[in-house]
Amino acid sequence: MNDMRLIDRAVDMKDIKIAARDVQVYYGDNHAIKDVNVDIADKTVTAFIGPSGCGKSTFLRSLNRMNDTIDICRVEGNILLDGEDIYDKQVDPVQLRAKVGMVFQKPNPFPKSIYDNVAYGPRIHGLAKNKADLDEIVEKALRRGAIWDEVKDRLDKPGTGLSGGQQQRLCIARAVATEPEVLLMDEPCSALDPIATAQVEELIDELRENYSVVIVTHSMQQAARVSQKTAFFHLGNLVEYGETGQIFTNPVDPRTESYITGRIG
Amino acid sequence: MPILWLICAVLIIAAIGFVIGRTRAISSGQGDIRNLHSLPSYYGWNVALKSMVPAFFVLIVWLIAQPLIISSVVSSNLPETAIPEGSSAGLIMSEVQRTSNGVSAAVISGDLDSAVLADSAADLSAVTEALKNAGQIVTTELTQPIWDAALSYRSMSNAGTTAMWVVVIALAIAGAVWGLRQTNADFRARNTVETSIRYMLIAAASIAILTTVGIVLSLVFNTIEFFRLYPITHFFFGTEWAPSFSGRGGSSELGILPLLWGTLYISVVALAVAVPIGLFAAIYLSEYASKSVRSVAKPLLEVLAGIPTIVYGLFALLTVGPLLVSVFGEGGYLGVDWQGGGRAVMTAGIVMGIMLIPFVSSLSDDIINAVPQSLRDGSYGLGATQSETIKQVVLPAALPGIVGAVLLAASRAIGETMIVVLGAGAAARLSLNPFEAMTTVTAKIVSQLTGDSDFSSPEALVAFALGMTLFILTLGLNIFALYIVNKYREQYD
Repeated sequence: MNDMRLIDRAVDMKDIKIAARDVQVYYGDNHAIKDVNVDIADKTVTAFIGPSGCGKSTFLRSLNRMNDTIDICRVEGNILLDGEDIYDKQVDPVQLRAKVGMVFQKPNPFPKSIYDNVAYGPRIHGLAKNKADLDEIVEKALRRGAIWDEVKDRLDKPGTGLSGGQQQRLCIARAVATEPEVLLMDEPCSALDPIATAQVEELIDELRENYSVVIVTHSMQQAARVSQKTAFFHLGNLVEYGETGQIFTNPVDPRTESYITGRIG
Repeated sequence: MPILWLICAVLIIAAIGFVIGRTRAISSGQGDIRNLHSLPSYYGWNVALKSMVPAFFVLIVWLIAQPLIISSVVSSNLPETAIPEGSSAGLIMSEVQRTSNGVSAAVISGDLDSAVLADSAADLSAVTEALKNAGQIVTTELTQPIWDAALSYRSMSNAGTTAMWVVVIALAIAGAVWGLRQTNADFRARNTVETSIRYMLIAAASIAILTTVGIVLSLVFNTIEFFRLYPITHFFFGTEWAPSFSGRGGSSELGILPLLWGTLYISVVALAVAVPIGLFAAIYLSEYASKSVRSVAKPLLEVLAGIPTIVYGLFALLTVGPLLVSVFGEGGYLGVDWQGGGRAVMTAGIVMGIMLIPFVSSLSDDIINAVPQSLRDGSYGLGATQSETIKQVVLPAALPGIVGAVLLAASRAIGETMIVVLGAGAAARLSLNPFEAMTTVTAKIVSQLTGDSDFSSPEALVAFALGMTLFILTLGLNIFALYIVNKYREQYD
């Protein structure tokens, strides 16, 4: 995990899960994302890096139509999930978000018990047949969130009573419980200390077996540690997209090199 | 001379002190304010505050204490025989005070020759005549003891007022001198002013608290007085409310239960109207409404809060009451004969509920808006719809605040008077039928104290016992609200 021998990292070519074509995002008159084309592979961790305000979070949020909740936001172009356009009028954004889960920058457990936090998604989507089924789903999600051992004795305690790192893993478990196909993570470790960060990163690596994970991060070390593919955004443009090892050791674009060596950003 | 002049005199002394203090500070810093510990105006304020604060404090205390002291001295000198049958020392003392004030005014207006005042054997009927001519209210013919008492009252208060002037002005000057003597470059005037501002704020807060204490004490003493005249068990457990105004006690039945029942019944109806409507309106405004709708609808809703309750009472009496009768009354649309007249629990309850909608909605709206957006995002991110998010995430998070808002509305409902008087009638009744006229504690307090009431009879004093009960009720409700809010806050923060 923590070694930096990036060249040696094996990257298999896998199916394309999300394909973005000529995506433009506007906030009112502000053109926030310009002509982005990107293919996100299945069962892979893809990192979006770039300086603040470059549009990486905006692009991430447009992948599960979270931008719909912002009145002035407008998305053009096509984003295909398994070949289907998610901005098609036929698509129900609520259903889409069940398939494309999201973990936020700040841990945001609901004001409910730990159990109810995880059971939230399965309940609203009717994933459990009965109570025993739901218990099983919750346990499985908490195990995948690598937090089961810490909370199994206090599932009825409020989720807000956990520490920051535990809260974030709870939020990941909550997102996993709805059985999404893609997991979007918007700077999931920015509010965490190094130990909690390491735990979450380990978790992300494990999640790769089942999901396509897209992570926005400010930490280039983190991108290098957890991702197989990296996209570098700058001023709303996707500057470079490729295998993580190649981006960090041998970038094509001079702007990417400047950023990862700390000259801009 | 009026007190206003004394206040002006102190203010002028303080202003002069301010200017001198400021100048002195500058000169003690050799004309360069960088040599001073504080800005020059702080030295000025130090002087002004030191002259004003003690002077005004003594002024206020003096104004309160002087009439009390003089009254007690004069009334202790009044002979027993001066108090006629059926009257009390208090009534005589107010007569003495009226006469004394009347004499002062009549002397100033020239209707009464000041020479009469020196003559204790003056012709009292002539004096009475002169006072009446001067437009002073003297109810009866003056008697010798009252006249003597009035004269001694007047001379004592004149002496007292003069002494007050001297003391207050001396204090103001002494304070100013003290402040000026402190003024030099090293004096920490800024810190002194800071401290005095803190005490000023403490004083403001204590006035609010002391007023509450005063109100409670006046309620308590009158309530105790009432329970000396009327058995406490009859008051709390009596199921009949039938005060008689002719007799003194005895024949009156003053049971609080019918009134309490009416109060609670009407409040429950009001909350049943206000809570769902107010809460749903708040949810719509905070979660669904677009910015433009919200900017129009929210102020419009809050207009409801600005309508005087008497107008709501008219609305209940003239619109809602007849409407309800036409539905639930004899020969109404439903064909039932539940409601006899327009005045009913339902009428008052519904209108009171409408009055409370803006309380509930405005407070809940603020509370719902305070729920962090990250919680909503989290829920949407899991594929929840808007109403699922509101029901399962936003409302639970906002619950303590909403409970607080509802209990606040409940306190308002319990204390409401005008709507009840016009909408629910004045009949104290223990009944389950919400279409019958009932009345509340507050409405009865009003009716017991309007008109000529003798404050020594249980029929009038019962108002204080009722007020005390109401006060304890709303206090309990507020404590309960705080308990609920704190309990949930612990869990969810």
